[in-house]
Amino acid sequence: MLFRLSNENLGYDGTPVLRDISLTVSAGERVALVGESGAGKSTLLSVLQNRYDGNTALIPQDPGLVRSLSVFHNVYMGSLHRHSAAYNLLNLVWPRQSEIARIRPIVERLGLGEKLFEPAGALSGGQQQRTAICRAILQGGDAVLGDEPVSAADNHQSRAILAALSDTFKTIILAMHDVDLALEFSTRIIGIKGGCIALDAPAHAVTRSDLDFLYRD
Amino acid sequence: MAAVPSNAAPTTPRYSPVVKTSVGFVAAAAVCLAFADISITTLDPWLEMKRMAWGAVTPDFGAVAGLGMVVLRTIAFALCGVALGAVAGFLLSQIFHLGPVRWMCASVRAIHELFWALIFLQMLGLSPLTGVLAIAIPYAGICAKVYAETLEEAQLPALRTLPKGTGILSAFFFARLPDVWVHIKNYTSYRFECGLRSSAVLGFIGLPTLGFHLETAFSEGNYSEAAALMILFYLLIATLRYWMRPKLVGFYVLIAPFLLGSGAAINMSNIVRFLTVDIVPAPLREGGLLAGQTWRNLGDWSGTLLMDQALPGMVATLLLTQIALVVTGVLALALFPLISEKFFGPVVRTLGHVFLVVLRSTPEFILAYVFLQLWGPSMLPAIVALSLHNGAIIGHLVGRFSDEVRLRPDSPRGINLYGFEIVPRVYGQFLAFLFYRWEVIMRETAILGILGIATLGFFVDSALADIRLDRAMFLIAVMVVFNVAVDSLSRYIRGRLHLSTRAGQA
Amino acid sequence: MPSRITLLLCSALWLLLLGGVSPHAFADTFVFTAIPDEDEARLRQRFDKVAAYLSRELGVESKYIPVKSYAAAVTAFRNDQVQLAWFGGLSGVRARTLVPGAEAIAQGYEDQAFLTYFIAHASTGLKSSQTFPKDLAGKTFTFGSKGSTSGRLMPEFYVRQNFMKAPDDVFTKVGFSGNHAKTIALVQSGAYQVGAVNFKAWENALQSGKIDLAKVSIIWTTPPYPDYQWTIRGDVDKRWKTGFKQRVTDVLLNMKDPDLLASFPRKSFIPAKNADYQPILDVAKQIKLID
Repeated sequence: MLFRLSNENLGYDGTPVLRDISLTVSAGERVALVGESGAGKSTLLSVLQNRYDGNTALIPQDPGLVRSLSVFHNVYMGSLHRHSAAYNLLNLVWPRQSEIARIRPIVERLGLGEKLFEPAGALSGGQQQRTAICRAILQGGDAVLGDEPVSAADNHQSRAILAALSDTFKTIILAMHDVDLALEFSTRIIGIKGGCIALDAPAHAVTRSDLDFLYRD
Repeated sequence: MAAVPSNAAPTTPRYSPVVKTSVGFVAAAAVCLAFADISITTLDPWLEMKRMAWGAVTPDFGAVAGLGMVVLRTIAFALCGVALGAVAGFLLSQIFHLGPVRWMCASVRAIHELFWALIFLQMLGLSPLTGVLAIAIPYAGICAKVYAETLEEAQLPALRTLPKGTGILSAFFFARLPDVWVHIKNYTSYRFECGLRSSAVLGFIGLPTLGFHLETAFSEGNYSEAAALMILFYLLIATLRYWMRPKLVGFYVLIAPFLLGSGAAINMSNIVRFLTVDIVPAPLREGGLLAGQTWRNLGDWSGTLLMDQALPGMVATLLLTQIALVVTGVLALALFPLISEKFFGPVVRTLGHVFLVVLRSTPEFILAYVFLQLWGPSMLPAIVALSLHNGAIIGHLVGRFSDEVRLRPDSPRGINLYGFEIVPRVYGQFLAFLFYRWEVIMRETAILGILGIATLGFFVDSALADIRLDRAMFLIAVMVVFNVAVDSLSRYIRGRLHLSTRAGQA
Repeated sequence: MPSRITLLLCSALWLLLLGGVSPHAFADTFVFTAIPDEDEARLRQRFDKVAAYLSRELGVESKYIPVKSYAAAVTAFRNDQVQLAWFGGLSGVRARTLVPGAEAIAQGYEDQAFLTYFIAHASTGLKSSQTFPKDLAGKTFTFGSKGSTSGRLMPEFYVRQNFMKAPDDVFTKVGFSGNHAKTIALVQSGAYQVGAVNFKAWENALQSGKIDLAKVSIIWTTPPYPDYQWTIRGDVDKRWKTGFKQRVTDVLLNMKDPDLLASFPRKSFIPAKNADYQPILDVAKQIKLID
């Protein structure tokens, strides 16, 4: 059991966005959160991230990059906790070959190889998103929590990204807007509507049309 | 209460708080003007002005021996002082949220570089360290504040994605610093330009920079020599971005200490004596600490100082500051169109830029010095000097800001454009800049005291001339309190009027 | 990017340097200064010659450093950054009060009976008089430097004595020109109506043709008082060798080069002692310039 919420109200500054939420996620699950934008997917993700004591990687919707640092550095930030401050600063000023060697294959797999030393601020939205994913992959951990991590990718790229995430993380929880992709990729679908969990079922038991009600007024 | 139909137009215009505040300040300045002495006392100011003008067109670059070295030293003092101040300011900005740190920074920046130099002269003598610390200490206070504000305002989305267990240091250098670095860099390079001005002015009290020779040239009436020195100084500032390359900064800073020149040896006992004897109020130094008489004497001593020196000094400081503030504002509003795309073509704008650069690069101290020679002693030279220098700075900022205003295609032209379209749109920003300069102007009025204008600075200078360091420090403390009070008032007014700018610019 | 770290490292490194470069530069040089009572160019010319003379006669490298104010001269002497100084009466008294063991060793022949001229612009209509001109009241007035004997102390003393009031209450405006040359220039231009100036500086300026007597003239002369003197620190014997103070005294008293003497301008130098300046100290205390 990695994540557990029981009968909780979730929200910001005391105004609950989600009410009376009970949810458990076990190791090895691939969960897709679906629902209209503003339904509370991001809220749920950040609560899960904050509650969990172990190491989870986070891919926020705003990719959370340091715009003036290079792709290398942004990805390297996923490993800050593994090294001493001195080693980190050394890499900030003068990237070590060993670190480049560690990061290069991750970046190349997501098609950012040529951009390794470009500042993140100079990249397109999709490239920034993939940089954030590379950072999460380097960070590793028990689970990854992603908020629309493939929103700016085409179908082909999305599959490659999801495959890369699956290779690194046993447990994955992603908010997704592409329902077909969600069904294809996940083992479990959680639909959110009206501040509650409106649907929670194994992915193989759900069809596309079962989800349409989530997006209707 | 009679019901008023909701669609009836009021018969008299209602003015916004911004307008009311402006009118209030102008009225206050008018009242101040009634009490200020603004006479021209020289019988023939034009004679000296003609000689100055002639000097300006016949600069004599050969007059100062070793001119190159003088310029290098001016740069070296600025580099060392600003580098030290920026590093210290940066460290302080990390703990700026602590009350005592904030107050300490406010206090050290309330004292102008020239007064810091005069203080360090007492401890260190004419040593290079005197000049470097005189720049570094107030700049540390200013930088700490601006860096802290910059860091505070920054949006830092990367912070929440850091893996748990990331160290503070790593988090700071990876996720916090890089995205604000460009602001910090820009502000620090702006400070360096200020540092060059400070460095030059420190020469007036004996450090081996441009000001040393400028003072000599001006006071002896060698205006061709003075013109050469001023032209060199303008060139130095105008070419700043060509030689002050980011890649070379490290190298410059490394060699700068070797270019400061040698000075008198530093003697630890002088520093100890200054701190433990010189600045202790005379009654405490002479009487026993337990005797009641000592404390009565101290009361008399501080009472006399407050009434005879601090109070008249504060009144003069206030008069001068308020008048100069309003004249600065008027000048800025008059000057900004010169560099605005909305009003003039490239030729006029280029000339306007040169004009404003020259005005704002000339340290107000030097402007005041020149006007004082021309018109004789009164508040007039001080008002004109402060207003020209600060008006050019704000005019420049407002001019740049006005270029960002989007106009409809059929907008009016000329004076109507100015009055109806541009000024209303830039006025809030203009006021914000002006209120930021308030504290700066007040600090500058103090140094004009060294030139004989009876502000607080005049009394500090007199006490230093009498080697009565206890009195000097007492008056400097009064100056600090006064300055910090104005700073708080300015922040309050800006808050009330909802004016905000990036502090770094003004 | 590397520039930022370089910046940090360099700053740290050179903090150490700053301490190392500056001190001890003049460790074995005998350094002296003078109050800046005149144009700097003149002073430099004069005292660089004096430095050469002292180096030659003493066999110890001597150097003159110019300062920008009277207070800076006293401070440099007090802080042992100069060991010898050409002070005025007041600055000398101040320096010797602050530095125990310091001694006045030589004065100019003329300094035994120094004078201050009160000068006035022609437009005031003030005429030269034997008695103190009481019609000064209500005019604008400039002293020289705040720390000057002839330009501040003595004139202020006589103003107070004759009007029983502070100068601020006697004149409509009181200024401090900074030095004697400027006092003359300011009164001559009419910026101030009346001023007080060192009689030697006046004669100097008159000789070099800087004074237009149609515009500015002497209206009153103070009674004589002791003024300029060479003052030396008491610890020079320890620093160089015993008898150094006496040798400096002898060398100064033996200054015979007419050019050098004329540059001061003094006829000759004669022995002086601290007690010679007691009248100055008394006056300074009386008008509360010294506590």
